Amino acid sequence: MSGLSAAVQEAIDAIEAGPQGPSVGAFFDLDGTLVAGYTAATFYGDRLKGRDVSPAEFLRTVVTAVDGELGGDPTRIAHVAFSAMRGESEEAFADLGDRLFRSKIAGTIRRESRALVMAHQRAGHTVAVASAATKYQIAPVARDLGVEHLVCTQLVVEDGQFTGATDGPMLWGRHKASGVRAFAREHGIDLAESYAYGNGYEDVAFLSSVGNPTALNPHRDLRAAAARLGWPVLDLSDPVGGSLVAAGRTLAALAGMNAGVGAGLAYGLARGNLREGRNAAVRLATRLPMALAGVSVDVLHQERLWTHRPAIFVANHQSALDIPVLGRLLERDFTIVAKKEARWDPRAMVGSVVIDPAWIDRGDSASARATLDGVVERIRSGTSLMIFPEGTRSATPVLGPFRKGAFHLAAQAGVPVVPIVLRNTGELMRRSSLVLNPGVVDVCVLEPETDWSTDDMSERIAALHTKFEETLARWPS
Amino acid sequence: MSTSSEDFERWGGAAAWSAGTELTAMQTLLWRAERHPVQSSTSTVVIDLDRAPDWKRFVAATEWGTGLVRRLRQHVVEPVVPTAAPTWADDPTFDLSYHLRRERVSSREEMLAAAAQVALRPFDRSRPLWEGVLFEGLPEGAAYVLKIHHALADPLGTVQLLSMLQSGRRAHTARKPVGEDQLAPAAADPVDLAVSGLRTDVATLPGSARATARMLGLAATRPQAVLASTLRYGASVRRLLTQTAPPSPELSPRTGKQWSFLTFDAPLDPIRTVARQGGGTLDDAAVALVLGGLRRYHLRRDSPVAEIPVGVRVSLDRADDLGNRFAQAIISGPLSIDDPVDRVAAVRGEVLSLHTERALEVLDAAAPLVNRMPSFVGASALRTAAAPDAFVLTLPGPPRKRFMAGAQVQGMYVLGPLPGAALTACLVTCGDTACIGVNVDASAVADLAELEECLAEEVRAFSG
Repeated sequence: MSGLSAAVQEAIDAIEAGPQGPSVGAFFDLDGTLVAGYTAATFYGDRLKGRDVSPAEFLRTVVTAVDGELGGDPTRIAHVAFSAMRGESEEAFADLGDRLFRSKIAGTIRRESRALVMAHQRAGHTVAVASAATKYQIAPVARDLGVEHLVCTQLVVEDGQFTGATDGPMLWGRHKASGVRAFAREHGIDLAESYAYGNGYEDVAFLSSVGNPTALNPHRDLRAAAARLGWPVLDLSDPVGGSLVAAGRTLAALAGMNAGVGAGLAYGLARGNLREGRNAAVRLATRLPMALAGVSVDVLHQERLWTHRPAIFVANHQSALDIPVLGRLLERDFTIVAKKEARWDPRAMVGSVVIDPAWIDRGDSASARATLDGVVERIRSGTSLMIFPEGTRSATPVLGPFRKGAFHLAAQAGVPVVPIVLRNTGELMRRSSLVLNPGVVDVCVLEPETDWSTDDMSERIAALHTKFEETLARWPS
Repeated sequence: MSTSSEDFERWGGAAAWSAGTELTAMQTLLWRAERHPVQSSTSTVVIDLDRAPDWKRFVAATEWGTGLVRRLRQHVVEPVVPTAAPTWADDPTFDLSYHLRRERVSSREEMLAAAAQVALRPFDRSRPLWEGVLFEGLPEGAAYVLKIHHALADPLGTVQLLSMLQSGRRAHTARKPVGEDQLAPAAADPVDLAVSGLRTDVATLPGSARATARMLGLAATRPQAVLASTLRYGASVRRLLTQTAPPSPELSPRTGKQWSFLTFDAPLDPIRTVARQGGGTLDDAAVALVLGGLRRYHLRRDSPVAEIPVGVRVSLDRADDLGNRFAQAIISGPLSIDDPVDRVAAVRGEVLSLHTERALEVLDAAAPLVNRMPSFVGASALRTAAAPDAFVLTLPGPPRKRFMAGAQVQGMYVLGPLPGAALTACLVTCGDTACIGVNVDASAVADLAELEECLAEEVRAFSG
C-alpha cells in the first residue's frame, strides 16, 4: 500500500504528467491546508497559558471572533491580535514560533499535503506558502517542507519590536489573491499553468487566480462553491490525534510488552538458555503489544532483513514506536546503541531489559569509544546492531543528516549495512506523545550495502541519505 | 442552413416566447415596487441602422412582430388586493400608433438625448409596456429606440427578443409566420384575480401550515442545527448587504432623474483576449473595462479611490456566465489596478467569491413574501439592498449583423435603468463588435465629457 489515498495519488500523477519547471507555481495555504487546524490558535493558546492576556483583551478577542463568524469583518480578529503584540520582541516571537512548531505544529502537518508539496518540488515548480498568517507561523513549516517562498502578512518591526501594525494589507481573501499575482509577476510564473490549494471560504479569489485550483479539505462554503465552479476537491486524512480508546490500547500494549518480556525470560530460564529466552521475549514483547494497540506492519523486501546477518541496521527515526517496530522486524539476535539519557524512558525501559543495549554517554567521548569497541566485539560474535543514524528523533518525517558512527562500526566490524526506511511511525505515535494510535506502519528494506571503508565513507553516506529521501518521497509499491 | 430557414426557426421561437400568464415573484416585486425613474426597471435599446427604413414597411413589420409575440399586445392586470400575482391579459384597446412613432433629428447626440428623455418618461401601466421611436435624419442613417419594461422583458430577454425578430436578409420575407391565435387569456378582472388568489391561498393553507409545523418541529428537536444554519445564513446576508467598498465621493449626489446616454464600440476579440489572459470571462472583462474608465476619471479628478461597489450579475448555476438563474450582487471593484489583465483577474476573484455566499439568492427567496405586502414595503426592501456606484452587465446579442425592415443593424446598445447607481453599463455582443451602452446619472458626475473621454480611452486600451 502506498499510504496515499487514490485521489491524492491521482493528483500527484496529474502533476507529474503536467508541465514542469519553475515557471509553474504551486501555492499552498497554511492553516487547514498544509496543517490541520489553526496555527494562530496554537499561538493564542500559548499566550493564554502564559497569562499574557488580560481579561479585557480576551473578551475583545472573543467578541471580535464571534462577530467575524456572524458576517462582520473576519480579519479584525487578527488586527486585534497584532495590536496586542505591540512592543514585543520579534526575535523572541520567532523563537516561540520555532518552539511551538517542534512541540505542537509539526505533528499537525498532513502527510498527503507533504506528498503534494514534494510532487511539485520534483516537478521543479516554484512552490510557495500563501497565507494570511505571519512568517513566524509559516517559516518553520515551510523550512520543514523545503519551501523557500512565503507570500504572507508582514508585520512592521521597529528596533526589533513589533509596532502592532501590518505592512500592507493582511493577505486574506482578495489581498492574498493579489499577493499571489504580484509574486507571479516578479518570478515569471505562468498562473494559467499553476496550482493552488486552499481550504477557507475566503480562498476562492486566491484559488481562482490559477489555472489548476484545488479545494483541499474545504470549509463547507468553499465546498459548495467548488461544486458550483467545477473545482476538484481533495479530502486528506488528518494526522491521528490520541483518542481515549487509543490511550487505553496503549496502556494494554505496555502491559502486553511487560507480560511478553516476563514470559520470554521465564521461558529462557526454564530452558536454561538466556539467549533463546531473550529472543522469545523480543518476539512476544513486540508482537503482543502491537497487536493490542492495533498496529500492524507492512514490509517491502522482508527477505533483506535476513540475508546479511550479522549486520548494522540503520533506520530513520521519528517516533518512540520505531523501536518496537524494528524489534518486531529484526526478531532475534540484535541490540541497539542508545543514548544514556534514554535509559530511564518508560517507553524504552522494558525493552532495554531484554535487548541489553549498548548505552553511550554522549557527554564523555572516551567512555563512548570504549563502549563502541565492546560493540564491535558483540557484532563479530553474531549480534546485529540497530542504529538510528540521525541520532535523534525528528519532529517531522523530514530526514535529518546522518552521523557517521554506524558506518564506522560497519567498517570496523566488517559487516554490511542494511538500511530500513520507516514511513509513518511518527503519525501513529507523535514525537513527545505517550499515546499509540492504531494503523499500519509502512516499512521498506533497501538493498544491503557491503564493504564499508573510511576512504569513500562520506560519499556513500550521502548516497544512502539520498536513497532514504527518495524512498520516503516515492514509496515503492 | 439558409438565411431564411434560420429566420423561420428563430421566428418560431419568438412566437413561443411569451408563455406563462402570471408575473413571476421577482417580476411582481419589481412591478409593484417601481417608482420611475428613480427606482425603475425600464431598459432602453438603441439600434443604429445603416439607412432609414421605409416607414410603411417598418410599421407593417412591427405590426407583424406584435402579432407574433403576443405579450407586446398585452397589459398587466393587478388584483384589487395583492393576494395573487398580477397577470398578463390581451389589451382590447391595443393601438400600434400609441406605441410606435418617428422623429427627425440631425445628429447622433441629439438622438441619444431624445432617447434618454423617452426612457425617463413613465409608462402608462394600463397599456402594453413598450414604446418605440424611429429617429430619422441622422447622417449615419437612422436609429430605432425601443423602451421596454422589465416585467415584459429583462435586458437579456429584450436583446434576445430583438435578435429573434430581426431578419437575416435585407429583402422583404413574404408569408412570414404569424402567431397562432392563441387562447387569448380570458379578459382578466381585478376582483376575480384577487378572489381566486385568495382561494388558492386558502386551499394551500393546510400544506403551508404543515410545512411551518415541520420547521418548528425541526427547530424543537434539533435546535443547535437550526440555530447554526440560521446564523450562517444571517451572516451571509449581512456580508452581502453591507457594502464591501464605500461609495465614491466622485459619483454623488445622485438624483436618478437626469439620465445621459453614452455609447462605445470596440472589436470583441481583443476584449476576449484580455479576459482570457486574466483567467476571466467576457463579463469580468466588461466590469474591468468600466472600472478602468472610472479609474482614469478618478485620477483625472485628482480623487484617488482604491475600490468602489459595483453591481454584477452572478450565474447561480455555473461559473461561466451561462445558465438560467442569476443573482445580482455587489463586489468591491478595484480602482487601484492599472494593468487591465490584472484588473480582470481581481474582478474574477471577487465574482467567484460570491459563490460561497449561501444567501446569494436572498432577494429571490424573499420576493414571494414581500409581494403579499403593500407595494411600499417592496419598494423599501429594494432600497435597503445597498446601491452600488455602477452596474455592469454583459448580454449576448445576435451572432451576425441582421436587418430590420430592409435596414442593416450597425449596433445595438442597451441603456439600463439607474436604481440608485451613478451609472449602468451594458456590453452587448453584436457579431464581432462589443456595443457598450452607458447610462449616467448626470447629476452625480461633475464632468460628464471627461467621463466619456475616460471610458473611450479605456475602450481603446482594451482594444489593444
